[in-house]
Amino acid sequence: MKTFNSRKMSWVMIFGLGTLLVSIMNSCVESKKVAAKSGPQLWAENCQRCHNTPSPNSFSHEQWVTIGMHMQTRAQLTDKERDKIVAFLTQ
Amino acid sequence: MVFTLGFSISANIVKAQQPSVDSALMDRVSTLEQQIADQKPGESHFMVVGLATFGFVQSKTTYTPFGGPSQSVKTNSLGDADRYELSPMLLWRHGTKFLVEFEPSFDGNSLGVNWANITYFAAPGLAIHAGYFVLPFGIYNKRLAAGWIDKVASDPVGVDLPGTDFGIGVSGGMPLGNMKWSYDLSLTNGLQLLPDGEIQNAGIVDNNRNKTVTGRFALLPFSNSSLEIGLSGLYGCVADAGSNYNNAKTTMYGLDLSYVKTFKPILINLKGQYSRINVNGQNYIKPTDSSAYTFDNKTTSAFAQISIRPVTAGNKILKNLELAFRYVNFTTPGNSLWGQNYDEEDIGLDYWLTWRTVIKFTYAKTHSFSTANVSAGGVGGVTDTSNIYLQFSIQF
Repeated sequence: MKTFNSRKMSWVMIFGLGTLLVSIMNSCVESKKVAAKSGPQLWAENCQRCHNTPSPNSFSHEQWVTIGMHMQTRAQLTDKERDKIVAFLTQ
Repeated sequence: MVFTLGFSISANIVKAQQPSVDSALMDRVSTLEQQIADQKPGESHFMVVGLATFGFVQSKTTYTPFGGPSQSVKTNSLGDADRYELSPMLLWRHGTKFLVEFEPSFDGNSLGVNWANITYFAAPGLAIHAGYFVLPFGIYNKRLAAGWIDKVASDPVGVDLPGTDFGIGVSGGMPLGNMKWSYDLSLTNGLQLLPDGEIQNAGIVDNNRNKTVTGRFALLPFSNSSLEIGLSGLYGCVADAGSNYNNAKTTMYGLDLSYVKTFKPILINLKGQYSRINVNGQNYIKPTDSSAYTFDNKTTSAFAQISIRPVTAGNKILKNLELAFRYVNFTTPGNSLWGQNYDEEDIGLDYWLTWRTVIKFTYAKTHSFSTANVSAGGVGGVTDTSNIYLQFSIQF
């Protein structure tokens, strides 16, 4: 009975956390200041959080798109940040 | 006459330059076009990146048993597990929704795998991944461990757990006004409790039916993303199925911090991580006489690092130099077989040949005071080491 209750409680907690997470995600909006940031600015701010800022000519256009997806999984960049940084690096 | 001859020659030249229609050739071209169309390469993209690290280390180790004379050993080595690594990473994406990552790694002793997973970018702020991946705990293992990123030559002791595991996970980053936050959660096979009470990565074979939850939430409170504060947690059963440690569970907590900002001409880079591992009360077996004993199974590890680099200095050599200092503390359970209080100080000078190629010179001094249970077979005493590293690392 104790096991059943604790498992039931675990599922309730997971469901509650999931609901909370979805609610927070839906309410997330960026400020005008953040929305106005350019690709070069985001490139300079985010890449150096872990490593030196990469040179745009290090990879090809298609490779930068792949690396953008790869870096999004490592550094949890937002989608807009990824798109702007990749657009800057591939221009 | 001359005009007629000239006209005739010109007409023959023009006729010779016109392509003749060869039906066999056209059929062959058509077949090739069909073969290319069948392969549909437009949606497939494959690339290889990776890292290579090679180095030299000279060490002096002094061991002083409690109440006994000191003994010193000097060694020097070209590349070993901590200083040599070759890890090509194979990346393949299908469109912009799927990404496959595979990173085998040779560290001088063995050939392993760091990453083998597939990620589906399901929606803005939601990436779902499955496979074999580094667990989302702290910032070091997932972001800073690569030789061309790390500022000092060696990894900080004690940050290797929870390591890499099989499972599924979700992650994403989202704006929050001027701030930003991120989450990274996973459900995996979990860790394994060893007979001496240590926790290790379970490896390929799942050791029990239970799953382990790991997660990290981070907040970047400034709009320029200079500061990141992360909170991590892990909970799961660690006992082998059918073992004497059936109810053994572990909880891990972690706090990490990253601050990177340029105060012209200096770029300041601060990194830190604290983690704690708790295993609930268990009786362990002494290897010496097979009797039962227990101890408070709590392990803590922490590192704090600062590096400075004059990135906007006018002198080319000066702006490629980076000075780093790191402090490491690792405390394992007293009265266990592997109990120790470990401290390490590292000072390093790096020279950046390119943005992803570095030569590192590091001096490290370590001090370890044993708190091991000697009656159970643990080794008592004090161990001091001084190490000099010269390391080259590149991302390719």
